[in-house]
Amino acid sequence: MHEFMNDPVDVSVDFTGRRIKPKRVRWGTKVYDIDKVNLVHGAREGQKRIFYFSVSDAANFMKLKLDTETLEWRLVEVYAP
Amino acid sequence: MAIILHLDFNSYFASVEQQANPFLRGLPIAVAGKGRHSIDVAMAHRGSQRIRIDQLSFQRSVVTTASREAKKRGVKTAMGTWQARKICPEMLVIPGDPKKYGEITSRFMAILRRYADSVQQFSTDEAFADITCASGGDYLGATILAQKIRADIKDECGEYCTVSIGIAANKFLAKLASESKKPNGLTCVPPHEAEDFVLTRPLADFCGIGRRIEKHLERLGATSVATLRRLPLSLLLSEFKSYGYFLFNSARGLGSDELEAIDDPKSIGNSYTFPHDLKTDHEIYQNLLALADRVAWRMRKQKFIATHVSGYVRYGDFGGYSFHRRCKDPLIDGLEIANTTWEVMKEKIDITQGVRLIGVSASGLLPIGGSDSLFDKERRKARVLQALDKVTDKYGSGAWQRASTMKTSFKERVSGWHYDHES
Repeated sequence: MHEFMNDPVDVSVDFTGRRIKPKRVRWGTKVYDIDKVNLVHGAREGQKRIFYFSVSDAANFMKLKLDTETLEWRLVEVYAP
Repeated sequence: MAIILHLDFNSYFASVEQQANPFLRGLPIAVAGKGRHSIDVAMAHRGSQRIRIDQLSFQRSVVTTASREAKKRGVKTAMGTWQARKICPEMLVIPGDPKKYGEITSRFMAILRRYADSVQQFSTDEAFADITCASGGDYLGATILAQKIRADIKDECGEYCTVSIGIAANKFLAKLASESKKPNGLTCVPPHEAEDFVLTRPLADFCGIGRRIEKHLERLGATSVATLRRLPLSLLLSEFKSYGYFLFNSARGLGSDELEAIDDPKSIGNSYTFPHDLKTDHEIYQNLLALADRVAWRMRKQKFIATHVSGYVRYGDFGGYSFHRRCKDPLIDGLEIANTTWEVMKEKIDITQGVRLIGVSASGLLPIGGSDSLFDKERRKARVLQALDKVTDKYGSGAWQRASTMKTSFKERVSGWHYDHES
């Protein structure tokens, strides 16, 4: 299943130098421990800087969106084979 | 003698998707362009709607890139997605995400600039790099440098984003070399091997020989590089005019080693293929105006005004026409560009055929002058445009729209030379 969405999530992160690495995602009542950050890319919405984190655990792929202005995390894409 | 690298990502957009989502690796996937039931990824990430990708039909959409696995099953770039799914029913179709690809392209170009004397971007996923000095002038140094670049691409773009690299004395040969080993190849063609190397390649692999020229050459008896070499220059010039020089030289592995700098644009344009054929003048004008507003905004952003406009129309049966007009006064506003274009377009358009694509382009670009207009109306318009441009800068494209274009909406292009979000 491959789905696009825009759901608010809680994300725990590690800070390493100037980089942040998502470690755990709470989506509703479910908690996912992230194994790997596969790709990080940025985008602009006007002057607002957005970062997308493509992450995965053993069974799922998730794309997380971080709004650097509001520091809000959203889950925007999930894929489970 | 120069040493040129040509680097070409393998199955670019698909590899980036497989890099982002490891569950797609090893699967036949296709990255779809915009289509009737495709989605705009950026919009989907902002909206409140949940969208199941496997339920989208991707009608009127084409395969912009197929993964290596899909290519092995016969799926080709630019094939309609319905046709690709017929060949490979298990293929997954992914909506293209230009922002993701744009960032990887930027990282790729930054890596090249770090190592090379000069760089020429050739497309979104291809570039030439002059490494004559950086390599120390020899092919061993060039090979080591190419491996360093490859390692940096793996680190910074991801292990699944591989490139094929060609090293040679000119751009033509370097590209031919990189095309010869895919995926993840490294082919070095030192000058003394160039003539023999060219002989081993099919004419279809030459950058600059498309289907039409290949057919024309076939009629002259040239079906391979060896037979092309036998054709005299005089015959090639009489058949192909000045292009004959290129054909004569390329058969001998000769070509330019000069990398081209990116100059100011000669024109700024936008075209759009609609999800359904447009059938009324009103619909066409609305979409033309929305496209012209985009062109005008890009022009103003780059501090240009236009003295010429051109437009083109493609019908449902792929027939169509194009036109060009010189303007009395320089244009800066989307409404002016749309109206000037519409004056010509409406005379020629055959609405009964259904319009599949329209395009508008501004050319004869001049730098915006510093002085204000003498007329109050013009000054007011300039202030409005400045204010609208500020809104666009702050909130992004789509932050404002004319009331008359509210029914139009354009999905971001996935393929092509430029990404919409960067313009």
